[in-house]
Amino acid sequence: MTATTAIRIHDVHKSFGRRDVLSGVSLDVARGGKLGLIGPAASGKSVLLKLICGLDQPDRGEIEVLGESVVGKREVELGALRQRIGMLFQNYALFDFLSVEDNVRFPLVQRGGLSDAELAMRTADRLRAVGLAGSEHKLTAELSGGMKKRVGIARATVSDGELVIYDEPSAGLDPVTTQKIYDLLAADQQRTGATVIAVSSDVVALAQFVDEIAFLYNGHIAYRGAAKTIADAPDPAVRQFVRGELEGPLGE
Amino acid sequence: MSSWAHRRITQLGGNVVAAGRAIRELWMVYVSTIAGIYRNLRRTTGSPRGELVRQMYSIGNRSLFFIIVTLGFIGMVMTYEACLQLSRVTGEYSQVGPQFLRLIVSDFGPTLAGLMLATRVGAGIAAEIGSMKVTEQIDALRMSGVLPIDYLIVPRFLASLVMTVMLTVVGSGVMYAAGGLTAQYSFGVNPHVYFDIAQVRPRHLIMMTIKAAAFGAAIPIVAGFCGLRARGSSEGVGWATTAAVIGSSFAVIALDFVISAAALFVTGGDL
Amino acid sequence: MANNEWALTRAVAGIGTAAMKISDEVGGIVVLTGQVLRALVPPRIDRRELFKNLHKMGNKSVPIVVLTAFFAGGLMTLQSAPFVKKLNATSLAGWGAGYAVLREIGPILIALMFSGRVGANNTAELATMTVTEQLDGLRALAIDPVRFLVVPRVIAMIVMLVALTVIGDQVALLGASVVGRSMLDISWSTMFHSFADNLKPYDFLHGVYKSIAFGGAIAVSSCYFGVTVKGGAVGVGRAVNAAVVAAAVSIMLLDFFLTYTTG
Repeated sequence: MTATTAIRIHDVHKSFGRRDVLSGVSLDVARGGKLGLIGPAASGKSVLLKLICGLDQPDRGEIEVLGESVVGKREVELGALRQRIGMLFQNYALFDFLSVEDNVRFPLVQRGGLSDAELAMRTADRLRAVGLAGSEHKLTAELSGGMKKRVGIARATVSDGELVIYDEPSAGLDPVTTQKIYDLLAADQQRTGATVIAVSSDVVALAQFVDEIAFLYNGHIAYRGAAKTIADAPDPAVRQFVRGELEGPLGE
Repeated sequence: MSSWAHRRITQLGGNVVAAGRAIRELWMVYVSTIAGIYRNLRRTTGSPRGELVRQMYSIGNRSLFFIIVTLGFIGMVMTYEACLQLSRVTGEYSQVGPQFLRLIVSDFGPTLAGLMLATRVGAGIAAEIGSMKVTEQIDALRMSGVLPIDYLIVPRFLASLVMTVMLTVVGSGVMYAAGGLTAQYSFGVNPHVYFDIAQVRPRHLIMMTIKAAAFGAAIPIVAGFCGLRARGSSEGVGWATTAAVIGSSFAVIALDFVISAAALFVTGGDL
Repeated sequence: MANNEWALTRAVAGIGTAAMKISDEVGGIVVLTGQVLRALVPPRIDRRELFKNLHKMGNKSVPIVVLTAFFAGGLMTLQSAPFVKKLNATSLAGWGAGYAVLREIGPILIALMFSGRVGANNTAELATMTVTEQLDGLRALAIDPVRFLVVPRVIAMIVMLVALTVIGDQVALLGASVVGRSMLDISWSTMFHSFADNLKPYDFLHGVYKSIAFGGAIAVSSCYFGVTVKGGAVGVGRAVNAAVVAAAVSIMLLDFFLTYTTG
């Protein structure tokens, strides 16, 4: 594994009972690269993200993240690696027993080594960046869906990780907010040079943010190419999905 | 063998195997929790001490009223039944107070407190942790480098251990006192005769502490285990909570049985 | 001084709030009980729902109830062991254990396990249905959720708890005998004669009456907390928690009143 590869996934298989979700997925992401991951519902995108973080184990195959293998490792061994990764969950997964401020600070507090002043500064900085300055003491129950998502993004980026994973960063948001969010993600990535993987069902907005897009279909990567030209991809399944057409190999 | 019988036995065998596996996993959770206590003591970052206090409050203070009410009533009932039986046989109530206290301390107090707490605390813990699991908060914890067992179960384990013993003591006292009221008002037993600690030996107090500690340790382990296994959405939380209540209650009964049997062998059945 | 006053005010306010919440819940349960009773006259119950619930609540609970009852019966014998040994009254062992089992331990313990197994499950189901707006859907179809869902479950739960108590009592007596035989060397025949000589049919029936009351309490409170749930997955967990606690308190309260009034 070279120093320029952030993620290396090789021939990964994962089944749940009799359902084969991933059957031979191979994917490499270079450091500092931005990869978008798209595919029909229940195609295994979230499962793949979880495998990358070691939150679940593949049945077969290799996965190396930031120079370390995540397969066959126990929870305790993955802690250090995970502190170099930031993740936005699809349903935000905010801690409902903590305030907004404590939520955003959480990864930093667990990592340790920062003074209270530094923690406060970085938290305030993140909240300002996502447009939630002044909401530090609110509880998650008081937030709207969009606000929760932004807190999730703040928490995912607060530790300036080398790898950031966004699972549906703009789902359920209006077009203007969507644009703001993607602008924010782009600015963050410019600043830190992190490697980014983003899963989204809004292919148009995603295509403007990432360099390349991979299409996950039938358990493997059916297509991988530049984001700008995805709508004209040679694979008819990809074209149908991206353009939202009813007829094509994807069926209904 | 008829096919119906064959199916039933296979089913039974399958259940036994599944139960065995579940017990093994529970034991792993228990071991992990104890290891977690050491890990927490050695930590330099993110101390969960505040969490421990919060859990002690949640488990202890908020169960106090519940324990007082339930154990109080059952104390009254038991005294009533005992006196009723005695009135048919000897009509002599002088032994009711002292013997009842002895039984409360070594048996009924911890058992009933344990069952009540298995219901209340077990359901509470499983509901909390279960809903965290289905909203992916557990995964989010893991992504910040936190072990769910260290952060969630260890504080509850320690809090439950301490609080169950304390609540058992308080509940037993309430049970005894309530029984005294019943004995006095329904059977005219003189309080001076009833409130007599002469029959309680140190080993009874030791039994009480051992049982209460065992129950206090088992409940959060079983309930936390069920919570962490919750899957799906609201249904999953419901299932987890249900399983936690049954599992904790059964664990209390089973541990009670084992400890009582062991005590019988050790002390040779002395009064 | 101001600090102490503030703390005291907060404590009293806390008690007041708790009392209001409890009376709110008790009131709601009473109202639901009224609705259930009204729906029974005339008894137009969905037969399919009734049988479905009978099966679900009865069959699946038998293993855990039987297992618990066995251990509980054995526990009774163990606890009476010191007395038996001291007074050398092996013939009374059956009486002591049996009396406690039939009148108190049996009905209460089985009711508690039932509340945990069936009551909690029932609350979880109804709560999930409420959260996913299925109850509203029923109402939109002009079907009364109480008549359609709640009443069959209440009837099923009462019937099943009585049946389980009867079965459980027998198993508990069996457990008491097994422990008596294996750990205290009390022969089977001594135990059985002790049961037969000292336990009256009324003792058994007393326990059964109690289980009817317990069944009703568990059923209504579990349905109540199921249909009044608020807020997603977290709410479901809280509803189950509340239902189980309410059932436990009701069981103890009812036991007290029934023991006093029916001796």
